Amino acid sequence: MLADLVQNTLDGLTAGAAYALLAVGFTLIFGVLRRVNLSYGAAILFGVYFATWTSLHFQADLLVLALLTIAATVLAGAYVERLCFAPHYPSRGSPRAGASSGSIAAMVASFALWMQFEEAAILALPQHLYAFPPLHTGEPLRFGQFFLRVESLYLLLAAVAVCALLYTILYRTRFGLAVRAVVDVPVAAQLAGINLSSVFVRIFALASAIGGLAGFLIAASHEQVTPMLGMWSTVKGMLAMMLGGLGSLPGAVAGGLVLGLVEAHSQWYFGPQMRDLIAYLLIFVLLALRPAWMTRWTSTRSAS
Amino acid sequence: MDEYSVGVLTNIGLFSFLALSAYLLLIAGEMSFGQQAFFGVGAYAGGVLTAIYGVPLPLAALAAMASGALAAVLIGLPTLRLRGLYFAMATLAAAEMARILFELLHFQREIGGALVGPDGTQGFRGIRWVFERGVEPLEYLAIVYGLLFIILVAFVRIERSHLGVTLRSIGADPELAASLGVDVNRLKLGVAAAAGALAALGGVLFAHHNTYIEPRNFDIMLGVHSLAYALIGGLGTAFGPLLGVLVDLGLLEGTRVFQGYRMIVFGGLVAVLLVFRPRGLLDERVVHWIHARAFKRP
Repeated sequence: MLADLVQNTLDGLTAGAAYALLAVGFTLIFGVLRRVNLSYGAAILFGVYFATWTSLHFQADLLVLALLTIAATVLAGAYVERLCFAPHYPSRGSPRAGASSGSIAAMVASFALWMQFEEAAILALPQHLYAFPPLHTGEPLRFGQFFLRVESLYLLLAAVAVCALLYTILYRTRFGLAVRAVVDVPVAAQLAGINLSSVFVRIFALASAIGGLAGFLIAASHEQVTPMLGMWSTVKGMLAMMLGGLGSLPGAVAGGLVLGLVEAHSQWYFGPQMRDLIAYLLIFVLLALRPAWMTRWTSTRSAS
Repeated sequence: MDEYSVGVLTNIGLFSFLALSAYLLLIAGEMSFGQQAFFGVGAYAGGVLTAIYGVPLPLAALAAMASGALAAVLIGLPTLRLRGLYFAMATLAAAEMARILFELLHFQREIGGALVGPDGTQGFRGIRWVFERGVEPLEYLAIVYGLLFIILVAFVRIERSHLGVTLRSIGADPELAASLGVDVNRLKLGVAAAAGALAALGGVLFAHHNTYIEPRNFDIMLGVHSLAYALIGGLGTAFGPLLGVLVDLGLLEGTRVFQGYRMIVFGGLVAVLLVFRPRGLLDERVVHWIHARAFKRP
């Protein structure tokens, strides 16, 4: 009993680290732009498929593949930003209106590009499943009767490193200051001479790079890719972000880990369908009740 | 008309119900990612009633609409006070829960020597009421468009009435509407119930057109598509969502010109269209302009 509990927790942390990385990128865009980028996962799919295609045709080092994935994801992200988000930025005033037509239009447009990426990926690599070079070959780490895959350590390390990097950027650079100003009081930030659109573009590039890194690590630790990766990344990243309180970076990491743990344990005890049901139920209840800690995290000041 | 065209036209009609359902919530200022759940509730409820209990389709359709409205009220009560994207996320979670519940639903009875009824992920086969009554595809098409016509007339009448203006005022500024004495919460709940019933009606017709449904039919993709239909068609009139469905299913899927590239074409088209018309082709301004031209007093 206890042994299962410990092993499930280890597995949950592995999945949770991947979710956390995905959620950090998703949250960065949502926290600053107050827009949902539905094609976040599809751009990752594009990046990962580009790397897969390269590895099928050329002999490529793992590091080269990682860089290619990130570069292609950033490129795809730039396309999404220019076509779906840039035309709908508010010309003046606050970008954080609720379901304003700008935010609906941006979201539906990003969904439209999701369709494009997915179809393009399937046209380029029409099989359902492709092998991806493994991140680590060899035995998993053993602690007595428990084992932990080395890949999960990479994922956890990457999540920690990305958070440290983001913290440095947001709190130690002028760009970070501009971002925090835009998040806190957009109008005042504009009056102080901050170019909203240039902040948004750079945040988008940063989030796409994180998404690309996450996509590479996930594909390399699963050692395979399918076209489902796009929807999977968007849904898991969005769920983890919601659990973490929509818009808080530490919340996104916590939300990813909690999602991983809840999934691992509920899958063990109730099976895969109940696992998803429980995850969605948790999010529905949290959103409907909006407990105090969630509202606190979503307040503007802690949004970065 | 050949069978293929009838099929495409019927599908356009069926998905119009769902697009209208998303549109109704959008004009009241709520973006739902979950209307596909009520489409599914209608499909399953109607299918079970006709295929297992032998209830005539018209009665089953009414019962399906009632269950769609009830489900929408149950989901709406805790979520409608949420704002914007929070509401969208909550409805998304609810709809995915509904889809998983369909996957867990096993309710089969032996009818005429064969097992009939929802069988989890295996889907629900044998919703044959329409087929067994010998209703021709063309007749079914007429039924679908007849119902759609009635609903469109209702929409046009409501939108010109006091109620319609009140709905749009909620959509534009709920606080202001409330300060003018509009009971925003009650009205939104009513809108959610009507939208749920509308989606359920589409669902029950969809189930009896296809004779086979499965939980995957009612996933997020369907929900986001219905939002996209409402938005590209335009938020100015109830004809907007129909135009949206027509563009996707009629122009791109139906003509088979873009086979293999349909999503790339449709995706690009939608994104570019929204750059120039963020509230769709037939937005409020265009509709107003048309009205001013058409009903100009001499």
